[in-house]
Amino acid sequence: MMLALRELRRRPGRFSAAGLILILIALLLMFLGGLLDGLLRSSTGAVRALDGDLVVYTASAEDSFLRSRIEPAQRQAIEAVDGVDTSAGIGVAQLGARRTDRGPRDLLDVVVFGAEAPPKGLDAIPADGEAVADSSLREQGVSEGTVLLIGPARSELTVVGFVDDTQYLGQAALWTTPASWREILQTNRPDQQLGADVFQSLVVRVADGASATDVAAAIDAATGGATATLTVEAAANGLPGVESQRTTFNQIIGVTVGIAVVVVALFFALLTVERAALYGVLKAVGARSGTLFGGLVLQALVLSAVACVVAGAAALALDAAIPPGSIPLRITGARLGQSSVFLLVAAIIGCAFSLRRLLRVDPASAIGSGS
Amino acid sequence: MFLALKELQRAKVRFGLLIAAVALLVFLILFQQSLQNGLLSSFVGAIRNQSAEVLVYRTDGRRVLQGSVISPELEALVRDSGAAAAVGRIGQGTFTVTPGASGDGVPVETSILGYESAELGGPTTLVSGRLPEAPDEAVASDVDAELGFAVGDVVTVEPGGLAIEIVGLASDVQLNVTPTLFTSYDTYLAAVASRNPDAGTPLPNVLALQAPEGVPPAEVATAVNALSDELDALTRSQAADETPGVAQVRQSFQVIFLLYGFVVPLVTGLFFLIITFQKASALTLLRAIGAPANKLIGSLLVQVAVVLGGGLLLGIGLYALIARGRLGGINLRFETTAVLVWVALLSIGGLISSLFSARRVLALDPYAATTGAGVGS
Repeated sequence: MMLALRELRRRPGRFSAAGLILILIALLLMFLGGLLDGLLRSSTGAVRALDGDLVVYTASAEDSFLRSRIEPAQRQAIEAVDGVDTSAGIGVAQLGARRTDRGPRDLLDVVVFGAEAPPKGLDAIPADGEAVADSSLREQGVSEGTVLLIGPARSELTVVGFVDDTQYLGQAALWTTPASWREILQTNRPDQQLGADVFQSLVVRVADGASATDVAAAIDAATGGATATLTVEAAANGLPGVESQRTTFNQIIGVTVGIAVVVVALFFALLTVERAALYGVLKAVGARSGTLFGGLVLQALVLSAVACVVAGAAALALDAAIPPGSIPLRITGARLGQSSVFLLVAAIIGCAFSLRRLLRVDPASAIGSGS
Repeated sequence: MFLALKELQRAKVRFGLLIAAVALLVFLILFQQSLQNGLLSSFVGAIRNQSAEVLVYRTDGRRVLQGSVISPELEALVRDSGAAAAVGRIGQGTFTVTPGASGDGVPVETSILGYESAELGGPTTLVSGRLPEAPDEAVASDVDAELGFAVGDVVTVEPGGLAIEIVGLASDVQLNVTPTLFTSYDTYLAAVASRNPDAGTPLPNVLALQAPEGVPPAEVATAVNALSDELDALTRSQAADETPGVAQVRQSFQVIFLLYGFVVPLVTGLFFLIITFQKASALTLLRAIGAPANKLIGSLLVQVAVVLGGGLLLGIGLYALIARGRLGGINLRFETTAVLVWVALLSIGGLISSLFSARRVLALDPYAATTGAGVGS
């Protein structure tokens, strides 16, 4: 083991090219993971923030707020279901927002949430005409007191506070009262307006001790199949593109880990061939194959760990350098850790390819009688 | 040459691993190229492949079809300006639609795009059937035919039950990665009413313009934009490229391609550098008994070519296997141009990186054979 570490210290140049490749692969893993995290966070934040256990849509809405409409009679039926503690109406309107101090063509992407109950992180929904904004709007110059003119009708909403991680499909949420949302919808998107007391969806809190999935099934049964009730997590995953993004990126990350395995295997197979004579001598003086292989694995782990540290720093630098609103990159400690673990495991697996060759080294070769 | 091939035969595992690494990398690059193009095509294909030369959004719409609403005043402003030879309405919405008999009958999210005139918003890439000629007819995207949007299928807009017959298929006309239907404007209005009886008559989402003869579409867009800050006129290609999300997708993939593009030559270069290093003594001996350096470099390049060629072929083969499928609603296809470009780039990169090994071969001193030392040792 000491020999392996000493070689790394004494001859770092021998490992530099492989290290550079591993840095690039680690950076790729971290970038791909960060991209996935950024996309998912910006798509699902508002749904994940819903303070309840279940989200009720119209069955035909395909889990979309915009196409769902829960009538008052349906709400009554839902609230009468055993296990339903409370329900809160919710509706959305995706519109552009202007600031009074910016040009008429300079708009912000916002989604107005009219909610009877506040999302996680908020104590209460503000008054009519006011909104609590997603904190991503801060990066675009919005502060408390900013008046936003929503939609072509220039409906006014005054920002009175901020809440974190409530983006919806890449747009910043503005949390306001149902009355303000209805007015905004009616004046800006008459084709989407709903009747009085009709909401696009309901957020249901399940009574203590009740099973969320059982209550969801009971709700859909109580409405005669007119509703589709999902857990909040399932509703977030059901947003357009979320599952396909996750699947696609995970597949790409998986193949990239496979490439890391092959690269490490290749590099250490070459090193093993190069050191065959040396291993013969070491075995002749009593070194066990296990010890030699341990040294190889140790070198691979150290090399990969160094690559992860450098790549992690590069990923963080990349994250800081990318301007907000361009690439949806989100580098987190968890993602860096996970990518590092992937690479370290790949290094160990890759090294295993050299084990057979190492076992075949004959100690007799050290005195010239082996092949 | 003979030695180079002999070595390839003898060291199958080493060269096999390298070929596998190159193949996986090539496959990933090409797969992601297809994914990017498929994603963009599924996202904005309906805008790119419709007939209007200029699309006029409302500024508030942020260049999203569904987010834009053209008021009667703005419509009148454009029509009265004379900037365009013809003006038509386009309406677009996302609906829950039960596919026709050729599908599995499970309702799917579907974009419906209604236009007033085939020259002002109709699909331009019809591959079978015909354009809608009567109410409640539609052209669907060809990739969705097997989902129940084939010619002859009758699909149903939910709730409300509006039935629409598919009369034609067009290629690359999806919108927002969903099955997409091109219908008459009146059919689109009927679909809106079917979904939400509370909604009034919706206003058009965008206006479709035809440029006067001899006037470039970009000039028409500029003229319309000068009419009001509320109007955001874009040429067809601008409208597709500047749809929110398109630039982000391109930028993200460019970073990914750049990183993968560096890894292939690096892996190849590293491999041959180590091999050359390991063979230094043998190569020195060969030089000492008269083998010219160019022969040895030729052998090296043969091996590089075999490895790169093998990796590229294997990678392209893997890519070809999956490039005709669908991934999460995105239609993948074999991109010949992308294959050729990447083959050229990776071959050049791989050969350049192998020059480091060639340099080392050139530095071999045949005299070293008499001292028992190889180069680099």
